[in-house]
Amino acid sequence: MMKPMECLLEESAKVHGHLCPGQVVGVRMAILGCRLIGLDEPTQRDQIKKLIVYVEMDRCTADAVSHVTGVKLGRRSLKFMDYGIMAATFVNLETGKAFRVLSTEESRDLAQIYAPEVDKKSVQQLEAYKRMPDSVLFRVQQVQVNINELDLPGPTRQKAECSHCGQVIRDGRQVVKNGKILCKVCTDNCYFSHAREITWPAMNWSPHNGILKKPHIGIKKGMVFNKSNQVISKEKI
Amino acid sequence: MLKKIRVEDAVGEKISHDITEIRPGEFKGAAFKKGHTVCDEDICHLQKLGKNHLFLIDLEKDEIHENQAAAMLAKGLAGPGVVWQNNPKEGKICLYAQTDGLLVVDKATLAAFNMVDEVMCASLHSYTRVKKGQQVAATRPIPLVMEKAPVERAAAIARQNGGALSVHELKQVKTGIIITGSEVFNGLIKDRFAPILKQKMNDLGSFDTQIVFAPDDAALIQAAIQKHIDNSCELLILSGGMSVDPDDVTRKGIEKAGATEMYYGAAALPGAMFLMAYINDIPLMGIPACGLHHKTTILDLMLPRVLIGEHIGKKKLAFIGHGGLCMDCIECVYPHCPFGKGM
Ligand SMILES: [Zn+2]
Ligand SMILES: [Zn+2]
Repeated sequence: MMKPMECLLEESAKVHGHLCPGQVVGVRMAILGCRLIGLDEPTQRDQIKKLIVYVEMDRCTADAVSHVTGVKLGRRSLKFMDYGIMAATFVNLETGKAFRVLSTEESRDLAQIYAPEVDKKSVQQLEAYKRMPDSVLFRVQQVQVNINELDLPGPTRQKAECSHCGQVIRDGRQVVKNGKILCKVCTDNCYFSHAREITWPAMNWSPHNGILKKPHIGIKKGMVFNKSNQVISKEKI
Repeated sequence: MLKKIRVEDAVGEKISHDITEIRPGEFKGAAFKKGHTVCDEDICHLQKLGKNHLFLIDLEKDEIHENQAAAMLAKGLAGPGVVWQNNPKEGKICLYAQTDGLLVVDKATLAAFNMVDEVMCASLHSYTRVKKGQQVAATRPIPLVMEKAPVERAAAIARQNGGALSVHELKQVKTGIIITGSEVFNGLIKDRFAPILKQKMNDLGSFDTQIVFAPDDAALIQAAIQKHIDNSCELLILSGGMSVDPDDVTRKGIEKAGATEMYYGAAALPGAMFLMAYINDIPLMGIPACGLHHKTTILDLMLPRVLIGEHIGKKKLAFIGHGGLCMDCIECVYPHCPFGKGM
């Protein structure tokens, strides 16, 4: 059983940084999505591996969806599709069932009528989104998601090397241009430009030697540091 | 999916929707019913009705016809006490009151339903008193053929909490009336309140009323309340002594009688100094002097709601404000006026 909505909402708001209407929509979107694909406790070990969620926005709602479902970028269970749409698709890898849950535009207009006694707009939305039934808050599409094997969780399945810069590229993200393998950075379609390699101050710092943290302490012969860079004398050891 | 063909080519095809004919002052109705097979003689008639083309319906897997949709919508909308018949006329289904009673419309649900592009439903105002068989609403899908999913969604929205429209019978209650005021109690002036309140209860179908008079004395008002409760009255109406005047002690009396809830003041004119209280489950309604001079007041708005078992609190007394101003017409036509219908 999933935790009650209010409880999930409180946790999610804490993780996200504030309680906002997007948290309510996201929490409810996740509860509905999981229910539709037949997962009742997605964050539990036996279910976590069955779930992939595609979020179509990088807004408050995305955080709530990922908190409730437990999907994470680093686990490859959270996929960000940069569509600017308030929607998320929930895929059950075991059954192949997938549902795209969309937040309705009309729910924004209906906030006033579902929480008429609240005058501040954002609080009104928040309250109304708690009260609306799923059928008002969401539309649902059953969809087919063809997940490329290279996008699945699990070990790295493929490695390639950029013919231009030598960078190792994982999971098939290389581009083949004129028969040559390139990393995305070496194509024209990269999010940054004018890259040049530099050196930087205190570039030999490491958490272990702590040189950056305590340049004022002269390191004398016989001093011993622990891992937190505290000086401990030989006697104490 | 709809296919458009010329009328001349339609012989042998089935008509996909009712075709309305209007001969002013003479006839309005379906000249051709849905499902009628077009024959040679019909072509002229159809052209006279201005139809040079007809739609043929070719339903895809996920599509439905308007009549089928209308039935799904009506089924979702109709809550307790609301009935309908599955014989859509021009795609529209009417919903009717199953009994005499009070129509209650879940406005949020109705609005959410109407936000779905493909459907509509229009109703009478919430809290309209209706007669058995009276039409309370009508619904129809907008297109002739549409996808099933939005219709199903609209029907699901309508279905929440058991339907957007419901008609509730007014409960017959034993009513205890308390007429407060020392002048009336001592016979200095003649009471006019009791017959008015008795008549109002009779109009609402409750005939068992008991009347007690009390002077402006909190303890005696308390005793009168207790007497009615001991006589198993299910509703108490108190008149007079409701203003902020120091002699007006009705509120004190209600308090002493053990009110568990009390709301003084309502957003209606006449009726600003209305009082709503509860002693456990028994509602007490305090009507100020305006009830004497005006045919229709806040009491007329709230009584039927109390009689269908609605619990009246602060919020409901506040929400009456929009539309809560009586127009003071020379001849009162309530309920056929906007008073109290803006909630
Ligand atoms: Zn937020
Ligand atoms: Zn490269």
